[in-house]
Amino acid sequence: MSLIPGLVRAELRKLFTTRLWWIMLIVTLLLVGMYLGFFMAFAGVSQDGGAMPELDTPQWTEIAWATGASTGIFVMILGVVMMTSEYRYQTITGTFLVTPRRGLVIVAKLLAGLIVGALFALAVLVFEAVTVIPAVTLAGGEFSPSASRVPQISLGIVATLTLYAVFGIGLGALVRNQIGGIVAAVVWSYVIEGIFTGIPALHGVGKWLPAGAAQALMSIDLDTGLGRPEWLPAWAGALVLVGYGLVFAAVAAATTVRRDIT
Amino acid sequence: MAAIEIKNLVKSFGPVKAVDGVSFSVEAGSVTGYLGPNGAGKTTTLRSLLGLVTPDSGEALVNGRRYVALPRPVTEVGAVLEATNFHPGRTARNHLRVLCTAAGLPGSRADEALEQVGLADAADKRVLGFSLGMRQRLALASALLGRPRVYILDEPANGLDPAGIEWLRGFLRHLAHVEGAAVLVSSHVLAEVEQTVDNVVIIAKGRLVRQGSLAELTSNGERVIRVRSAQAADLAPALETAGGMVERVEDGLLRVRGLDAETIGRVALDRRIVVTEVTQERSDLQTVFLELTEGR
Repeated sequence: MSLIPGLVRAELRKLFTTRLWWIMLIVTLLLVGMYLGFFMAFAGVSQDGGAMPELDTPQWTEIAWATGASTGIFVMILGVVMMTSEYRYQTITGTFLVTPRRGLVIVAKLLAGLIVGALFALAVLVFEAVTVIPAVTLAGGEFSPSASRVPQISLGIVATLTLYAVFGIGLGALVRNQIGGIVAAVVWSYVIEGIFTGIPALHGVGKWLPAGAAQALMSIDLDTGLGRPEWLPAWAGALVLVGYGLVFAAVAAATTVRRDIT
Repeated sequence: MAAIEIKNLVKSFGPVKAVDGVSFSVEAGSVTGYLGPNGAGKTTTLRSLLGLVTPDSGEALVNGRRYVALPRPVTEVGAVLEATNFHPGRTARNHLRVLCTAAGLPGSRADEALEQVGLADAADKRVLGFSLGMRQRLALASALLGRPRVYILDEPANGLDPAGIEWLRGFLRHLAHVEGAAVLVSSHVLAEVEQTVDNVVIIAKGRLVRQGSLAELTSNGERVIRVRSAQAADLAPALETAGGMVERVEDGLLRVRGLDAETIGRVALDRRIVVTEVTQERSDLQTVFLELTEGR
């Protein structure tokens, strides 16, 4: 077990000595920026019974702040690549030559994934702070973390991004093909989760999916015009997310430990 | 205890028996060539030895232990497998530093290893732009990181230019004969390793065909010259007088030991005997190897 810290550092070094991480970071921040711009533009606009709050209200900050959680897909892709590039470029051979106890490699990758997810969450939160706070202040409102439940939502963003990185690593270990893994991640989060968490009639299923559980964790109560969602209680959302993390970690370990590397 | 020990190794992939009951060992201070045609089971043997492939039965041990049981494997075994084991976007130095970090070695080992294989100038270039020969050198550098005493190399000469092959030969000989390491090197081209190896293990279709020292396998080191002449009956006693051991193979064909081609030519000239062929016979090793490789 004393090997673990070195192995985690090696995994982080693998990621940070190639280019993908900063491309993903830029895309992540661009997406958050796009959502925030959209919410600013439509602040105070109501339509079909649903309404976007005014920019100077705590409710607007709450909704805007929560957009950070929607970037889970990018850390998930990063997780997929952390695993599948080892197979794509056959660096897995060198990795296992240095550390033939493959379980340790998987544990190190998952821990590195958690760290990467947390770093991305940190970047997103900083980005949100430097855009949302001035926007609210300029609109004549007062940025109130407690009224907008910023701490709880931030925690939800950190939990979502760290766990999505773990999902990605597990998915990558299962699929091993890089393109296949990325496509599966996109289909999962945009199509499957999108449908089941976006359409209220399907929330009965959607609340049990990672995205639904993440929403529960943040307790975002927004009527998008399709009706109010019914999420799990926050603590149950947290449990569901951790459960998914454990399942994906187990998948990563089980599909990697005994397989022949030829 | 042998540095590398393989006992009755068996490994199948589906219905194909890749390795079928192979046993051999490699001692410290020697280079062993593991030879066989493509698909003979060389790579599967080496990957079993390195814990990448799980054998169906039998044992593959390094320093008396299975590879996965070695506490710090890179400090005991250096391995070179295919030349493609690099992320193209990572620089040579970073590739080695990743391995150093994982192995708990100081990062300075990366630069030392690059220096040793002559890649110091390319340390900060991304592997993307590397030639096959440079990739092989980088692979060798990663094997050197932990200063191991056992080396396992799978077709390391692939992609090297003639100068690179010559360099590799010297390098492997140095590791074994000066530093006392055990070196196991596979190849499907006999000529690549013939001048380097002390011992030879030949495998075909997953089975061991022949093993022994290079000297043993090359007809006890003695050179045999085939001489063809219509007057062989007159030539034979003359060659014996000159000090040769002559074997009469068939009408008009002699096998001569103990004389070189020039002496044989002079003897024939002195006796005014017409000779139609004077050829050095292939060594036993080459004969065995060619029989195996040409049969497929």
